Amino acid sequence: MSSTRDLLSGNNEMGSVVLSKLLNVLTGLLFNILGFGVLIGIWYGVSILTDNALPTPAATLAVLWEMTKDPFYDYGPNDKGIGLQLANSIVRVFFGFILGAAIAVPAGLLIGASSFCKKMFYPIIQILKPVSPLAWFPIGLVVFESSSIATIFIIFITSLWPTLINTAFGVASIPQDHKNVAKAFGFSNWKYLTKVLLPYSFPHIITGLRLSIGVAWLVIVAGEMLSGGLGIGFFVWDSWNALSLEKVISAILIIGIVGLLLDKGFSWIEKKVTYES
Amino acid sequence: MISIQNIEISFNTPRGKFTAVKDINLEIAKGEIVSIIGHSGCGKSTILNAIGGMLFPAQGKVMLNNHEVKGPGPDRGIVFQNYSLLPWLTVEENVYQAVDAALPGKATSEKHELVTKYLRMVNLWEHREKYPKQISGGMKQRTAIARAFAINPDVLLLDEPFGALDALTKGSLHIELLKMWNLTQQSKTIVMVTHDIEEAIFLSDRIVVMNNGPAATIREIEEVHLPRPRNKKEIVNLEEYKVIRERLLNLLMDKVEIDEKDFFKEKAA
Ligand SMILES: Nc1ncnc2c1ncn2[C@@H]1O[C@H](COP(=O)(O)OP(=O)(O)O)[C@@H](O)[C@H]1O
Ligand SMILES: [Mg+2]
Repeated sequence: MSSTRDLLSGNNEMGSVVLSKLLNVLTGLLFNILGFGVLIGIWYGVSILTDNALPTPAATLAVLWEMTKDPFYDYGPNDKGIGLQLANSIVRVFFGFILGAAIAVPAGLLIGASSFCKKMFYPIIQILKPVSPLAWFPIGLVVFESSSIATIFIIFITSLWPTLINTAFGVASIPQDHKNVAKAFGFSNWKYLTKVLLPYSFPHIITGLRLSIGVAWLVIVAGEMLSGGLGIGFFVWDSWNALSLEKVISAILIIGIVGLLLDKGFSWIEKKVTYES
Repeated sequence: MISIQNIEISFNTPRGKFTAVKDINLEIAKGEIVSIIGHSGCGKSTILNAIGGMLFPAQGKVMLNNHEVKGPGPDRGIVFQNYSLLPWLTVEENVYQAVDAALPGKATSEKHELVTKYLRMVNLWEHREKYPKQISGGMKQRTAIARAFAINPDVLLLDEPFGALDALTKGSLHIELLKMWNLTQQSKTIVMVTHDIEEAIFLSDRIVVMNNGPAATIREIEEVHLPRPRNKKEIVNLEEYKVIRERLLNLLMDKVEIDEKDFFKEKAA
């Protein structure tokens, strides 16, 4: 049983902790608002200086509102809502990304675990990794004879490298201590894989996947500009052709927010699977 | 039973070959308890790991039951110096996975019984669902001890197994170790690395004192003839205990004495 005084002081302490946390959040928010304020201020300045060649924040906001009011409208093949465009891009990204991961994770495990595989494949990876994924687009077009599949193909290529390299690094950096346990107690290959190698590498793999989806989201916009069809990248291109910079800027905002959400999602998983030794 | 024949062990380092120990000869009989004692870095773990089959001598060989040691095996249970628990497994899983790997012939229920028995022995049953990061250093060490014991090996290789424990826990685990040894009619061979002179005398039949490295050799082997069962409180009063303790102190502490003499010389000057 605690006395009233304990209870009070306890409450006070708790109260002050909550208060200081709230204060932290509020000041953080204040800085965020300040940052956006500065950005919008500069934007406004440039709009005025260029005589509205760059649309003002207010004009853009109005267009953004129009776009997001009915995001899923469908008036035929060339006129679809922003939500549909976005959904199409996201589906493509995930398709390419999952295909990429399905190859990159096992390949990374192999390259990390075997110095033979590493010697054989690492030079190839080092040459292919710095190539812009867009350079693969023509090859995709020729092979698949479909610009839509070619776009998925470049996302697939993009997604490979960060996942592959992080996975291989994770496997290669398994501490000697962990290997010693497996060796001393005679772990089978399967047990080593499931109880040592994979659990140790898992956080590295997730980090790789997070980086991969980040780059994939960067690339989809450029890819869809090349390939046309339905998607947020093509929407940007189409809006530019229709001379609607308001729409372009709105799309940029939306692309940024989706990218942020994807990253946050994977960061969340990353934190979940990271163990402390 | 264990026969270490003239081994030399080296490591490849960026600066070339480093010889940790050499000219090591040691015969250990079945059922014997032998401690290896010496200054940090003299190669105690290296010798233990050679018996465990975790590393191989550049020269000489280690024989176990008349067979050359070619790798680790379930006939030897190792407690590593740094516990070496897998951080993503619970205390119970850490022990179970080792038992499962080392004793493939046993039924699952039998393996679980073993895990239960040895986790109770080291008083960790209540903590079985915790992860290594959630328990103290001493508890990690006890988990590693349970893991090595649970596979019921003929030879136990213990690398400073009680190093991170407080005196009370240490004392009770000493008793547990000897109890287990007695339960098997003193048939288990135990090789233990330690820093602790009292611990070495209390537990061992022989104490191997190492020289300092690099290329460390065995300095001396002390025999401990104290009658068993030993009682911690009583043996300290025995004459033989005092003699052995004194000798070990002299072997390990001569450096300290020289320092002190120098210190007094300086004062007098
Ligand atoms: N894997 C290794 N690579 C290089 N040097 C090592 C390695 N393991 C041990 N050594 C060296 O061998 C010597 C003996 O090490 P160790 O057997 O761990 O000593 P101890 O257990 O007596 O403290 C030390 O000088 C140590 O630095
Ligand atoms: Mg050591």
